[in-house]
Amino acid sequence: MATTDGTTDSRQPLISIRNVCLSYGNFQALTDVSVDFYQGEMVGLVGDNGAGKTTLIRIISGIIPPTSGEVYFDGERITKFYPKKAIDLGLECIQQTIGICDNLSVGRNYFLGREPTKRFFGVPFLDKKKIRDASAKVVHDFGLRDTVDVDDEIALLSGGEKQTFKIARAVTFRNRVIIMDEPTNHLSVRERAHVNELAVQLKQQGLLVIYITHDIFQIHRIADRIVIMENGRKVTDVPRDAMSAEALEGIIRDGGRAPAKGPKPS
Amino acid sequence: MRQFIGSIVRRHPEGVTISMVVLISLAFAVITQGSWLSVGNMQSLSQLTAVLAVMAFGEAIVIATGEIDISVGSVSGIGALAFLGLAPVVGSGLALLGALACGILIGAINGVFVALLGLPSLLVTLGTLFLFQGIGYAVTSGFSFAATDSVRQQWIYNAVGNSGVAGVNAGVIWALVVLVVLQLVVFETPVGNRILAVGGDAASSFSRGVNVTKIKFGVFVVSGLLAAFAGVLDAAFIGYADGSFGATMELSAIAAAVLGGCHLTGGRISLIGTLFGAFVLRGIQSFLILLGVQPQWYILVVGLIVVLASLADRTLTRFATKQ
Repeated sequence: MATTDGTTDSRQPLISIRNVCLSYGNFQALTDVSVDFYQGEMVGLVGDNGAGKTTLIRIISGIIPPTSGEVYFDGERITKFYPKKAIDLGLECIQQTIGICDNLSVGRNYFLGREPTKRFFGVPFLDKKKIRDASAKVVHDFGLRDTVDVDDEIALLSGGEKQTFKIARAVTFRNRVIIMDEPTNHLSVRERAHVNELAVQLKQQGLLVIYITHDIFQIHRIADRIVIMENGRKVTDVPRDAMSAEALEGIIRDGGRAPAKGPKPS
Repeated sequence: MRQFIGSIVRRHPEGVTISMVVLISLAFAVITQGSWLSVGNMQSLSQLTAVLAVMAFGEAIVIATGEIDISVGSVSGIGALAFLGLAPVVGSGLALLGALACGILIGAINGVFVALLGLPSLLVTLGTLFLFQGIGYAVTSGFSFAATDSVRQQWIYNAVGNSGVAGVNAGVIWALVVLVVLQLVVFETPVGNRILAVGGDAASSFSRGVNVTKIKFGVFVVSGLLAAFAGVLDAAFIGYADGSFGATMELSAIAAAVLGGCHLTGGRISLIGTLFGAFVLRGIQSFLILLGVQPQWYILVVGLIVVLASLADRTLTRFATKQ
């Protein structure tokens, strides 16, 4: 099938965004965005603040419906947009600003929306032992300090610990797609390296990883493909080897005007 | 030590209210030289507490999602009027179902405007508070509905009214049943987890796949149902109801919930605390009556308590969530 950069690809994209627009009243957040994502690749979604990266992945993860355009998942057109649908299709998203309810315990946050139950007289009750044990194992495997009690409110965790928690949750429930929106925010240098290693591992396990970041140099080292957005449009979509990180940075700095040798903006 | 106290306060927000109940009970008993603690006063106090608590439990569930329902006073009035109005015609069993259906319907109206259309619950339920108060006055047109002698013989009427087990009024037993059921639903089931999650952070729970609209709609229906049931319990105990039935009860219900450790910002509630909150309010009321104080002062005292309780609550929460 024809991909957005004009070449042909025999594989069917796992997620295909076609001519998607999104507007809030007069504000045009996304303008005619078309992009394909394939199983087993890592795509770096890069761009300045307000470029539309987060808006795009909010559409993919079902949080907001597009104003116009089409979204396909595994060849099937998506007509109704809500997060439960995306989760059921096997998509886990590490959102930058949302995803944690401060008032709930670590364990309850971990299983929110997919709580394990035990039935008594046909009524589903929370399986608290499973919630406690499973979440404790995961948060400690991901290096949260031993004093973290999964029965305590998650509000007691630091920003970095919450970020680690979100990553741990997404990775453990991984299925087909993992989207990471600025996953290394709030993290120390060592933790950043760990998250990037993890993203590569997930890709190698055959998942589609969409990695959103400001840092073109960091993502250029690990991604297979780089998509640059600017002012709600996709301006560049190239395999990693096609351009150097410096050249890509130049595109971002110039506000999306691609140099002559790069592919034409859509 | 601070960590220890903090963790207790975080996990048991009703602790303060319960200790308050013990303290004021002692104080009231001493000041009234025992008559506040007498069996007779405790029986009437427990009945009044039960009616308020049933309404306040529904309010607490709504508060858990970060919304508020101030229509509950009128809804209890409609529930009482529907029950007493229908009972002589269709029998108290069907009248009870009819009254509860009215509560569910009003709750669903609130739910449609708040959950589906996204209007602020304060405005929507303020509107339905007046609307159904008006309907209450209109259907009674200055008279009151009273239970007829034949209705008073029916067992269902007595099961929600004047009967009791071992000196405990039927209303108190019903309140405890509602408490146990809601306590299990809110804290032990997936639905409860999602109710609390929506109140904590609606956008985050939505992103985790929680159907926020359904949850918010559901809590308003439950609140309407329980408010109507509270009206039935009260009406069947007293035996009559007029157009002003349930008026200002919404204030006491909200006060009981807040006093019991429910945060108006949502996500943190205590139903056991709410029960004790209702007891504190009704206890103060009966104390003032025993002292011969004019009943108008009760409203003033409730206002003072709510303001002080919110202040104490915030101070304590800040203390508890600080590392």
